[in-house]
Amino acid sequence: MTIGLASRTGVELIAVRPLLEAPVDVRLPLAPGDRPLVTTGDSVAAGSPVAERFRDTRLEEVPGPIPDAVPGRRWSGQLSPGSLGIRRRAARTSGELLFEAGGRWRVATGEHGEPLESPVDGAVRAVRPGVDIVIRANGRALPGVAAIGSPARGVLTVETGPDGELRPGLIDVSAAGRILVVGSRVDAETLTRARAMGARGMIVAALSGKERRDFLASVARQRASLHRADSFAVLVLDGAVRRPIASAIMAVLAAIAGREAALVIDPPALVFDEPSVAIPAPDPGWVRVRSGPLVGQEGQWVGLAGPRRFAAGTHLEAGFVEFPGEPPVALPLNDLERYA
Amino acid sequence: MNLDSRAFFALDEGAATTSAAIVARLRDRWRLLASIAFPAAISTDAILRLLVDRLREADPGIAAALGAESALDRWGRLAVRGRPAGRIAVVAGAERAVAPYAGAATLTGWRVTTASPERLDPLALSSLLLDRGLDAVLIGAGEPPGPDERPTLDDLAALVAGVAARRPELIVVLAGAMAERAAPFEALTGRSGAVLLAPAPVDHPAELALRSLLGELRSASDDGRRAIVRAVGSLADALDRRIEVLEVGITGGLRAHALPGSGGEPGAVHTAMLASAGLTGEDREDVAVDDLMAWSTTPVDRIRLRDRLRELRTAPWGDCAGDGAHLRLAAARAALTRLVDQTPDLGALPSPDIVVAAGGAWAVAPGPAIALALIDVVRRSGAANLAYDHARLLGPLGAIEDAAERRSVVGDLAGELLAPLGSVVMPQGLHAGRSAGRLVVRGESGTTEVDLVPGGLELVDLPPGETASAEFHFRDTVRVGARGRQFSVAVAGGLGGLLVDLRDVPLRLPERHERRREMLAAWQGALWGGEDG
Repeated sequence: MTIGLASRTGVELIAVRPLLEAPVDVRLPLAPGDRPLVTTGDSVAAGSPVAERFRDTRLEEVPGPIPDAVPGRRWSGQLSPGSLGIRRRAARTSGELLFEAGGRWRVATGEHGEPLESPVDGAVRAVRPGVDIVIRANGRALPGVAAIGSPARGVLTVETGPDGELRPGLIDVSAAGRILVVGSRVDAETLTRARAMGARGMIVAALSGKERRDFLASVARQRASLHRADSFAVLVLDGAVRRPIASAIMAVLAAIAGREAALVIDPPALVFDEPSVAIPAPDPGWVRVRSGPLVGQEGQWVGLAGPRRFAAGTHLEAGFVEFPGEPPVALPLNDLERYA
Repeated sequence: MNLDSRAFFALDEGAATTSAAIVARLRDRWRLLASIAFPAAISTDAILRLLVDRLREADPGIAAALGAESALDRWGRLAVRGRPAGRIAVVAGAERAVAPYAGAATLTGWRVTTASPERLDPLALSSLLLDRGLDAVLIGAGEPPGPDERPTLDDLAALVAGVAARRPELIVVLAGAMAERAAPFEALTGRSGAVLLAPAPVDHPAELALRSLLGELRSASDDGRRAIVRAVGSLADALDRRIEVLEVGITGGLRAHALPGSGGEPGAVHTAMLASAGLTGEDREDVAVDDLMAWSTTPVDRIRLRDRLRELRTAPWGDCAGDGAHLRLAAARAALTRLVDQTPDLGALPSPDIVVAAGGAWAVAPGPAIALALIDVVRRSGAANLAYDHARLLGPLGAIEDAAERRSVVGDLAGELLAPLGSVVMPQGLHAGRSAGRLVVRGESGTTEVDLVPGGLELVDLPPGETASAEFHFRDTVRVGARGRQFSVAVAGGLGGLLVDLRDVPLRLPERHERRREMLAAWQGALWGGEDG
């Protein structure tokens, strides 16, 4: 079909989102006192412990000098009488050297250790005590815009269509050990129930600020009660306002459904190591409405439409998009995106 | 970049927006030929190709003379960049001692986290400083240190040195009496982050020195905001006018007040850069939502407003039309309010002759609506011209290294880089009542008479390029820069014409959201054309 004076080129003026990324460096944050169990260069398997994290970390004083002592190094030994943290039991302990002042070292030590497991197979790129462990993950990553919770691993299950919504009542124990793809939006009640049923995470197009806050408050309450919970993560693909999951992303999720994958928080992404799974390359002319009244719709790029006047008298660079079964419509370029 | 060529691209590659312009030398004068703005995610070369195509379509003769067919290869690029604001932790031995350092860091564009041993134990303080999101730490002490600080200084220096040993990329600034405790840092090896000494902000010169150091640490040499500061100084000299620039972008805001040189004395530019004056108010989401609600003309509840603010943060160029345009301008007003409220020193300087809006926050708003946003927030009795850096040229022009050359280019372009938004006259001290007096505007296209009703906003049509004399006859004594009852003000036209702002100074708005929203929408409706879409 012909679109007046419009140019059929110009697709390069539409923002590109990467569909998949590789390699991906997964960062697992550490706090002072946490004990790394790996060193740089180590290979790690998903599920293997890479550090021991402590809930109740405290500071002890140790008289110096300590041979080869540097901040961040592990130390174990006898605590001096009157040290800051000595309260009740035998004074032999271990911890992480923080700094030396006045001839005495401050040591971060803790109780109630919990293993921190690698969510991915890969190689350790860096270990910085008190800061982080960075693992170069095997495989590919499907990036999102945000993730909350803690890194988790499970079997990917597509529960709804791209614009679906999962209600809490539909989640039962069969969700245990799974990462659920739940469509356009999810509420805090559904997240909390999924977590209680043993699900390992959810992938959703949008998560509103209220649901996010409610869910995080629920997690914090559980953590405050010293109850150890399984890892659970929520990966948000687009933002805070409801819209369907992009068809290109649904194609990836469908291709790896039934296989193991990991949700990681930093960077926010779904990581999977399935080299045999072929992911079709996105059509470069297929565009998605990222925002605005038609958010979530997808269609074929036709060409540039030049500057156009839109609602509220705003003048924006526009392009024609042909949605299936409809005539082309001019939309602001800045509301469009495409995957590559 | 070499300006010997006949044309160049001026590029402001911000964190959210890439603005590109073609500037060419025609008849011995630099002229702005074309400009465009796109989301930063788009390739710069793709944007430039579109811009050159538009020039070739609009004026093939000029395009051919400038060699536009090979412009991307041959024309130079005068470029500045915007980056997300870095985070600095400001630490001192006592809470009391933190404030002056935190103030200096805040005004240089850093996102600031404060801490002291009074509030955090050494373990919590170590955790805070080991956070990977932290780019720098400033440890400050009084000069001399106060009795509440002294017992903690050695431990504090040792703690930060312990962190610096583990995070070699972390920049460390030792300020005031802390500079005498540099020994633990001198022993550190293999660090890429600098360890610097700075003065305590005990007086104005020392505070300026500290701010200068922090400003340089925050930004690279091609930083867009630093370049705007240089350009506005040149513009003030070229026009011989006092100029105030209010720039709002996604990562922060800049307020710069430039005084031209006179009598052989050089001009001066007073500046403040605030990360919190970004369009979406990074870090303080609840505060940002409150700020946005205060200016919103859209009937939307707090929960949805928070979501839309998040969307704006994720995709600053998304949903720019219709309702989204109003929301964006409300966010710009909120950011401007933060910028103005936190820079009272700049507000106390002599009133500017020209107030310039700059930055990506204004990119899609109609000119008259930008003018209204400026006068809604910057409440200052007197008269001023309002303008908009529509092609975002101030940043790139500020990148011209040589001051004389910069002034020459800015002087050539002064009439084109600023889109005239209009003039504002804002009397202060009006008494409530039916009429405060009369205004007679004598312009090239005739005479207009207006009854001055306190509390209102009077608009007089005065197109761009036209000048007029505005004669005010008030019933009572008011302040329009000076006190009096009769004033004659030379005004210039613009997209918003002449705005006679008879509202309160400072602006008082109803507490109730609905009433407030209606009032803001009514004022905005008068200036925002094309609401029917």
